[in-house]
Amino acid sequence: MSGSYSHQDIQELLGAFALDAVDADERDVIEVHLAACPRCRAEVAGHRETAALLAHRGDTAPEGVWDRIAEALDEAPPALDLARIAPGGDELAERRSAGVLPRSVPLRVAAATMAVAAALTLFVGVALGRRDRGDLNRLDSAVEAMQQAGVANAATVALADPHAEQVKLASTDGKATAQIVRLPDGTGYLMPTGLPALPGGRVYQLWAVRSDAKISLGVLGANPQVSAFRMAGPVVAYAVTDEAAGGVGASQNQPVLVGYVKS
Amino acid sequence: MPTDDIRDTSDAILVVAIGRYRQEALAEAYRRHAGAVFALARRLLVDRAMAEEVTQEVFLRLWHRPDRFDPERGSLRSFLLAQTHGRSVDILRSEVSRRRREERDARETAEAGYDIEHEVVDLAVADEVRAAMDILPPGERAAIELAYFGGHTYREVASLLDEPEGTVKSRIRSGLRRLRTVLVDAGIGGAP
Repeated sequence: MSGSYSHQDIQELLGAFALDAVDADERDVIEVHLAACPRCRAEVAGHRETAALLAHRGDTAPEGVWDRIAEALDEAPPALDLARIAPGGDELAERRSAGVLPRSVPLRVAAATMAVAAALTLFVGVALGRRDRGDLNRLDSAVEAMQQAGVANAATVALADPHAEQVKLASTDGKATAQIVRLPDGTGYLMPTGLPALPGGRVYQLWAVRSDAKISLGVLGANPQVSAFRMAGPVVAYAVTDEAAGGVGASQNQPVLVGYVKS
Repeated sequence: MPTDDIRDTSDAILVVAIGRYRQEALAEAYRRHAGAVFALARRLLVDRAMAEEVTQEVFLRLWHRPDRFDPERGSLRSFLLAQTHGRSVDILRSEVSRRRREERDARETAEAGYDIEHEVVDLAVADEVRAAMDILPPGERAAIELAYFGGHTYREVASLLDEPEGTVKSRIRSGLRRLRTVLVDAGIGGAP
């Protein structure tokens, strides 16, 4: 499609494009072109500035609309997006004076980071593989139950530690939640509530979001219980995603649960 | 940033604060720009309830995706108004309203010829902007008004004005450029 448009053809359409006055197929072609052409992007931005001046200055917004917006903010925690993770206080002050925004951080974890994350990860709460062989199966279950009880007890103790970091995670509908508690030594526990069991082939995965990367803290299984992890250093947010069995190195999925660390 | 400082801060910094989930920053952006957003949506859609919905949607979109706004590309107001315009035009062009509008346009054209002036009759633009519009050649002015305030594509504008599509396309672009030059010379519409 774009092959039939010369640069000049596209330039001639930029005014109409800036006013949303092109057909859908032309819009697609122009958008592809703009991604690679800073000069045309600048022209469109200029046209939009001009159009904004033509618009009605407007009085105050109608009553009630803000209330509806505020209500929508309260009921649904925004989707986790690394682009939102703004820099820390000092950097913010610098950017404040420079008047620029934080740049988007791609939602990918480089292979090197993944290796580091794997080394940092200590996961006890994953579902143990079951073997359909009588006693061995029962023994596995007993070990699993003991481990589970141990993890749950340790989590309860950690919750009482006044120096622990505590974060509440929630789903967008508020039906599923989780409590994270992380001790100063980096040992942390996830206590989920109301997470529905996943169908075969799917697992939950826990992530720590830092300002520069999203680090896997481990695969939680299809029906997660209290789980332990280890994560050193500052964390901006935690998230739980729904992934294919085995987990992934970098998630492209919206989180099922998300919670931000209070600064 | 403390709430007291919010009113003094720039739009760009407001968006940074929105990125940090500061609801009061979104409230301030709303206070500054929602009137213009609503007025543009109302101008295009006429229906008050639909314009309110678009206003709500535009600010929720800013809350969820503040990274979409790049202060190096333009002002927050032009960003929000571009979003408002795009969304309103999408609604206008949805099948039902398109049919209704085409019927209305056909009726008006048949009855009295297309009245360009009715597109701007209640347009409360600043005097400088109105004066700038006035200096445009009538063909450029009509094309821009029908496209921007009427929500028409340039092909529809060409049909309404009975002009070649290429001519309308060029007039929209040249008219916008001319306007910008005039407004920048007048000291408005310069740096975002």
